[in-house]
Amino acid sequence: MSPPPALGPPGFSRRTLLAASAAGVALLVAGCTSSPVDERETVTGRQVDQLAAQLAVQDGLVAAYDAAAAADPALGSAVAELAAQARKQLDELRAAAPNSTPSAAASSSAAPAGDAKAWLRAQVKAAATSHAAACLDQSGARAALLGSIAAGLRGQDGRLA
Amino acid sequence: MADDTAGSGKPGEGTENEALQEALAAEHAAVWGYGVVGAALGAQRRAPAAAAEAGHRDVRDTVTALLDRRKVDPVGAEGGYAVPFPVLSAVDAAALAVVLEDGVAAAWVRVLGQATERSTRELAVGALISAEVRAVGWRGAAGQDPVTKALPGLPTG
Repeated sequence: MSPPPALGPPGFSRRTLLAASAAGVALLVAGCTSSPVDERETVTGRQVDQLAAQLAVQDGLVAAYDAAAAADPALGSAVAELAAQARKQLDELRAAAPNSTPSAAASSSAAPAGDAKAWLRAQVKAAATSHAAACLDQSGARAALLGSIAAGLRGQDGRLA
Repeated sequence: MADDTAGSGKPGEGTENEALQEALAAEHAAVWGYGVVGAALGAQRRAPAAAAEAGHRDVRDTVTALLDRRKVDPVGAEGGYAVPFPVLSAVDAAALAVVLEDGVAAAWVRVLGQATERSTRELAVGALISAEVRAVGWRGAAGQDPVTKALPGLPTG
């Protein structure tokens, strides 16, 4: 009798998690040329443009966190960790799109005078929706990154509820 | 042709179907694990665990049907799983739920990295988002801080 599998194959044993992590790192490091599967495909011009667009979306979200903190300092300290995570997401997107210049400056740089938290939550939700949609047209490491960021932001949306 | 690149789902193949098999295995484990979570939470606090379990059952059934249509033999559930730590309290139960959701999230991020079909990415990103939204609630219940992650499912977190 062999022992029961750790909860549960493949994602749950520490060892598998580590192996999975290593695979994830490889995906990220591979960057634009990505995983074995899509060595067969090239990154299309449209995919590059779309990644640049998501960079601008994330740039706008980081600016929204700053604007919300300026409008409501108490809110700013309450969401400091979320803002730091949004910045980390921006850094990862930048690393995945090294040749992109964040084109449009954030359009929504000032939070409204009213409910800054509700406004911020709407910005987070919109960015998550945008990244999730863009993920569908990407592949390999770029799809994984955009999907992960979308999930992270939907988690933030839950936290801001 | 879709299935030319989706692969046969054999272990080690590094294809969309193989990644789907891993995600399916993680969903099976989550369904099983939520039985433990629910039992430890007690009748009055069991509702979120039951809802999460139902969500994982739905995804499990969707992936099973998808692999069936592709003539790939879907992986089944194990007879039992080793729980990573004793689950003796509601806090332990929430911590186990976090482990389950994080494991599922990692599997779905790997599917996104391997997927050749747009419809597969759609399935994956939906399952990934659901896992992280649930995980945020469980991390709070488990007393973990922060409750959110910048990059769920990715090793850099």
